[in-house]
Amino acid sequence: MAILDRFDTPGRLEELSEDDRRAWSRRVAGMFEGLTPDFPQFYDPTVEDTPAGLTPATIAWPAFPARVIREKGQGAASWELADGSRDVQDEYCEWSVERGEEGKITRITFTTEVPEYWEHVAKNDPDLLLELYHRFVDPRVEPDDLFDGEEYVPRNRWNTSTEGRLAHFVQGSNSLFAAITLVAQATILRERDNGTPVTDRQELVVCGGLGEPFRNSDPQIAEIVNDNAGLGHEVTLLDPVGLYLDSLLSAGMETRDDADAAEFWRIERGTPDHAVRASFAVPEERGYVVGDIKVDGLPITRGAQVADKVRIRIGAVVKPGDHQLVRRRCVE
Amino acid sequence: MNSAVTPSTAVPPHRPCVDLERQSEGLDDAAVHRFILGSDERPHKLSQQEATQQLGDRFAQLVLLRGVFPSNAGEVLAAIEQAVSPDDPLRVREFFLVGEGTQIAPIPGVSVKRNLRFLATVGRGPGGPDIVFSAFHPEHGTVELIAWDLAVGGFNFYRTVGASNAWVFAGNSRHALTSPTRDNGPFESHKNGHFLMKELRLPWVNWDSTTARAVPSIFAEEDLLGHPWVANLAPGGAYTLEKDVAVPAIRRWTETRLEALVSGNSEETPRRLLEQVLTTSTVNLASSNTSSVVAAIGKVEKVDLPESFFVDSAALSGILGLVPPPRPFVPSSVYAESLRTFEVRLTDEDQFRRPGDTHFAFVVPERAFEDADTLREAIERGILSRRLAACLLMVDFPNPIFSQKRQRLLEHVPDDAFRQGEAFSQSISDAIRASAAATQPGTPEHEFTQLWDAGEDFKAPFDALLQGYYTAFTERLATQEGFDDYMRLAESRRDRVREMPITESPMLFARTNIPSRERTMLADGTVEEA
Repeated sequence: MAILDRFDTPGRLEELSEDDRRAWSRRVAGMFEGLTPDFPQFYDPTVEDTPAGLTPATIAWPAFPARVIREKGQGAASWELADGSRDVQDEYCEWSVERGEEGKITRITFTTEVPEYWEHVAKNDPDLLLELYHRFVDPRVEPDDLFDGEEYVPRNRWNTSTEGRLAHFVQGSNSLFAAITLVAQATILRERDNGTPVTDRQELVVCGGLGEPFRNSDPQIAEIVNDNAGLGHEVTLLDPVGLYLDSLLSAGMETRDDADAAEFWRIERGTPDHAVRASFAVPEERGYVVGDIKVDGLPITRGAQVADKVRIRIGAVVKPGDHQLVRRRCVE
Repeated sequence: MNSAVTPSTAVPPHRPCVDLERQSEGLDDAAVHRFILGSDERPHKLSQQEATQQLGDRFAQLVLLRGVFPSNAGEVLAAIEQAVSPDDPLRVREFFLVGEGTQIAPIPGVSVKRNLRFLATVGRGPGGPDIVFSAFHPEHGTVELIAWDLAVGGFNFYRTVGASNAWVFAGNSRHALTSPTRDNGPFESHKNGHFLMKELRLPWVNWDSTTARAVPSIFAEEDLLGHPWVANLAPGGAYTLEKDVAVPAIRRWTETRLEALVSGNSEETPRRLLEQVLTTSTVNLASSNTSSVVAAIGKVEKVDLPESFFVDSAALSGILGLVPPPRPFVPSSVYAESLRTFEVRLTDEDQFRRPGDTHFAFVVPERAFEDADTLREAIERGILSRRLAACLLMVDFPNPIFSQKRQRLLEHVPDDAFRQGEAFSQSISDAIRASAAATQPGTPEHEFTQLWDAGEDFKAPFDALLQGYYTAFTERLATQEGFDDYMRLAESRRDRVREMPITESPMLFARTNIPSRERTMLADGTVEEA
């Protein structure tokens, strides 16, 4: 791989000008620069070499928030809660739902787009921002809806709800910076007060101050990074750095015409290998809607039922190293 | 009163799976034999014509019937791959890993019996993969394989014998349903002919998953370091297995089976379904989402517990729409104290022993998904009425599994053929209410009769009963005495599971000093010891 020329855009999106793509790379590099001095086993692939032939690690998890299940159990109560607010959709995936006249779901839109990218578009190409909102969110969006003076408002009136068409992440823990920081911080090995190593992933998250121990995503990322750091290796994120919609696990979905529901999953942004936005909707000519499909025997009445079958992923690269292992006590 | 055999009792002589292995020794290599325990006295080598007639799955069609007889799991995969075109769904393969010790790192000088085994799936589609097989190692050891029969429906169950490449066809899912083959051979574990994944839902204790992965350092001990199956474990692990394989596979057979029943093409009667509703012949395992370590050392304030320990929430709430239970929590300090009180430890009953619980706290059996799914499908197809199902399951509702009271009601279920309409449900309720026991307080028949008297608008009164119980157990969970009682109750249920053939390792559950004894939950949230 050698040294990476630049960080590509999430999903390898090509809508930015060449200058703006380079600016995006510098923006991401800035996030790395702020972390690498403090975390010697975390590296910037645009600065340091990555040997050829390494197999990237894919870390995958369900889009449905594990914290909601822990609080509400599995089933209708948790679906209702997860569909009720973007603020609980904290697994690096958010979704919104559109319904038809009878209240049946007609389309569910999923995104893993990070707010930093949209802020970047807003700063460098406001016309493109408006165009993206018109194309993917709603044609009625006005520039004033998106800006407070010169400042882009990520949590604007068109991008706060779980209804309609969302644009990008707004949940507080869902951001590119949060993911990069997590990977960097997770390279720190921890030990208890009695000197025994911390290996349990929930304990690691609590001990390292790495966030919420009961999410699907962060504890798993942290554990895998920490395990490799424990072998003396160095870790970074795979380019294009971002969170991705890995797959819709469509088995078990029952359609009226026995069609494979996988056909109804449409990637709207990103490449097939790096999807950052996708929707689930039945083509009109089939004569039925998402609400007529059953998941595991139950009609789809909530977007959360489909989110439960959406797999998210992030890619990491582990570079063999021989760092001396030092364990630190838990953060208070 | 019906005098049919009691549920889950095999028609004698019971023929466990080990019989199949024992009697299959010395079979001809490079051949497929039929040996359906209960039906066949001994293995019978199938001719090409017989095999073609009897085996309608793609594994048989693409491999065995073409004269290819793999001797291990890796060869199975290779044989299928060679037989299909590059765009065939059977080119889609995924690997999963399970083992009761997958989260235990190697300990110098201690051999840990992790019981590591692979599950490989081949194919994809709305009903899940067509072929699924398991093995302890990709390159050696026996292979157990199920493959969907495209001709007659259901899964065909196969296995290899020892180190040979002799294959045994041990039956189809439908053989699990009726005598003389039910409960025998593979259907000793696969009670209703389904794909089996005990730890079916989050956090999938024992599986490599999104919540707990297999500790990488164990692979060197297990002679699997760098193996392609390990390097290519399915993203998401058990999460993917549940959503894309296990649940679709279970639903696929449930639908096929009940379609056959209502269309008059099945040998089973609706009574067989009631056995799944009223008794506990198999279970899934549920647990807290909190790791026992983080709970025991007090790093989190509270430990969530599976609500299915307290009530059959899948059936009562998920299917019948009754009020769902609150999410049960116990203070971590209370949980930790119970671990000490009951000397909870994990052991493989050989060299490995460690104080504390399983990786995730409080692993307990719950109603099997296959039973709940059968109930849902039976209601949707009009085989059972909602009212009957609700009244049956509300009898002894504080005991979601292993209820002797509900099991007793099975005596009133006729063994008649399926009839359209509510006649079957009505006949059951009539029989229970007309029984002599229906007038005797304290009997399940009396309890059922009182519930039945609520009429079609049963939701409000049933919700009130459940609500009172939910309040009671929630209050007791905040106390040491209350949770200790639930630890004892949990151990009684685990003891039942330890006797089931699905228990393959002593590390399925932690051990305690709690005496083995029958215990039941009461509606006031207290636990009664026999």
